[in-house]
Amino acid sequence: MKKISFLLVILLLIANYSFAQSVWPNVKVEKINGDVVNTKDVLEGKPAIVSFWGVTCKPCMTELNALNEVMEEWQEEIDFNIIAVSIDDSRFTSRARSMAQGFQWGFICLFDKNQDLKRAMNVSLTPQTYIVNAKGEIVYSHTGYTPGSEYELFEKLKEISE
Amino acid sequence: MRQLIFTLLCVTSLPLFSQEKGYLTGSLESNSIYYVKDNGLNKENSVDPDDRFGSNNYLKLDYTLGKFSAGIQLEGYLPTLQGYDIGLYGSGKKAILGIKYASWQDENFAFRVGDIFEQFGSGLVFRSYEDRTLGINNSIEGVNASYNFKNYVSVKGLYGRPRLYDSYADSWIRGADLSLSVSDIIGWNSGLLNLEGSVVNRYEALPEDASNALIVDNLNLYSARLNFDYKGINMAAEYVGKGKDASFNASKPVQGHGFLAEIGYNYKALSVLGTYRELNYMNTTLARNGRGVGNVMNYLPALTRQYTYMLANLNPYQVQGDGERGGQLDIYYSIRSKEDRSKYWNLHFNASMFYSNKNITGKSRLLWRDINADVERQWNRKFKTSLLVSVQEWNPSLGFDDETYLSNIFVLDGLYKFDRKKSIRAELQYLYSQDYEKDWVAALVEFSFAPKWSFSVSDMYNLGTTDTHYYSGSVSYTRKNTRLQLSYGRNRAGYVCSGGVCRYTPAYTGANLTVTSSF
Repeated sequence: MKKISFLLVILLLIANYSFAQSVWPNVKVEKINGDVVNTKDVLEGKPAIVSFWGVTCKPCMTELNALNEVMEEWQEEIDFNIIAVSIDDSRFTSRARSMAQGFQWGFICLFDKNQDLKRAMNVSLTPQTYIVNAKGEIVYSHTGYTPGSEYELFEKLKEISE
Repeated sequence: MRQLIFTLLCVTSLPLFSQEKGYLTGSLESNSIYYVKDNGLNKENSVDPDDRFGSNNYLKLDYTLGKFSAGIQLEGYLPTLQGYDIGLYGSGKKAILGIKYASWQDENFAFRVGDIFEQFGSGLVFRSYEDRTLGINNSIEGVNASYNFKNYVSVKGLYGRPRLYDSYADSWIRGADLSLSVSDIIGWNSGLLNLEGSVVNRYEALPEDASNALIVDNLNLYSARLNFDYKGINMAAEYVGKGKDASFNASKPVQGHGFLAEIGYNYKALSVLGTYRELNYMNTTLARNGRGVGNVMNYLPALTRQYTYMLANLNPYQVQGDGERGGQLDIYYSIRSKEDRSKYWNLHFNASMFYSNKNITGKSRLLWRDINADVERQWNRKFKTSLLVSVQEWNPSLGFDDETYLSNIFVLDGLYKFDRKKSIRAELQYLYSQDYEKDWVAALVEFSFAPKWSFSVSDMYNLGTTDTHYYSGSVSYTRKNTRLQLSYGRNRAGYVCSGGVCRYTPAYTGANLTVTSSF
């Protein structure tokens, strides 16, 4: 009985809040040169695709390489950024940095070494991708990657920039 | 339970007292397996539990209002999945309040009470983190504060007792960390120079009848670090000194040390990274009587390439925290067509090699060597291939004997996109070896219908000695933030690794349902 009432409390709470739109949190992460930056200073007042990745996550690589391929083409239509957030801890940050540079990603690369941003955004599985609008509100999110699902991101970007 | 509800009500009634409403976010992860009896598996290393069901569940809720946030995580083990140490060494609780916290953060100051995740430097001296794949959560229940003055100085401190599976270790951990950005202080803008240091103390009272000299009550560790970055060159070095501590590999408490050095170079599409590490009696536990992968205070990952291909991952390297030295080299390079971004080559070379400590194994012997390279070629918008070759040599006795096993692994991976939605991916893998289980072959085919559906079948077959098939079929469905995956298959006994840390899992056959969702 206790368990049931407890679950009910939780469900009520979720129902209560689920309409609240979540926002891009403000935590400290590192840029590619090792400088610490507040995440809210990264947005630059533009919409952004935010993708969480890790060095051992193969679908993440596939997704980011696919985005890297189409980014310039999309940017001709819409002004937006791509933010790639590595959730690798500091032991793997150098490798993540080498990969980002070796693959010539034209993204804003962030390194979430203590996984503060990952926890703040409740990412439990990578790849996890969001679209954040120019005001910093999260307007779209998607877990996992299947080849081709990047086009949904483009549709959403077009929709919010109208 | 009452406490739980009270916490929840406190957390959620906060908006009532404020003008603003704040945000509630959360995530749910549920991983359940139904185990079936399988006579095709070796009885010695497989499981056939009486209770055919296992389920690990995590519900995390976070509330944020401006600079304030608070949250909880409920964990349900109904019962624990096979192969997770919380099931073996935990006290068997079905539901626990795994994480609770309240925190406040502004530009310069952060404060958190409750369960704390923190790491100093690379984690060699201290790291508290959660990894659900491994079943590790060694968060510290206590207080944590940090302060930074502009970009010049940052200090952190924490105090508390560590979580050990579903309860707490009988120890207390205190730590402090200081980071100085020398380049900012002297106004050097073209590069980065950081000096950092940490001290950590672990205290566990001696039992009253402690007459032997095998255990210690106070353990102190310190770390000194340097980070340097200038025009595409980056360097990092860390030295950790560890006071006398009990060790499985020594007859009395011994001092330890760790050393890590890294140098990287980037120029346009070329990226080179070399790492060297030495570990000497660096295994550091949370509790004297604790066991398993969760009883760990610092982070000692294997510095080897981590594969996503089945056969390349059959016998991953297990880090030897009490005695190893070695390193790793990575080279990344990409070639891109200027006219057409959909045509490129990504090249990667990696080599890693580790030797044992002669104080432990009598003589310093090769523990692990892996020389590998992979080439990824995007031919056009529709077609991509990857080829991987890896030559792995590993020591089955962990350095106590000269004998090593050699595996040669070849993987071919192809992806073809029919259109914007439909794609097919296939892997062919072959492991050639004259040692241990000898030859293996594996294949995988995955069909995706973006963005929602994905289907895959795979088989891994040992044709060398055991003649066993490890087959698997899986369907996944994703809608926005929710992903469901249902699979059925036979799983091999061996190590499951995440971030260079591994846990052993017994073989089993069963149906697995995984649900993840965030909101």
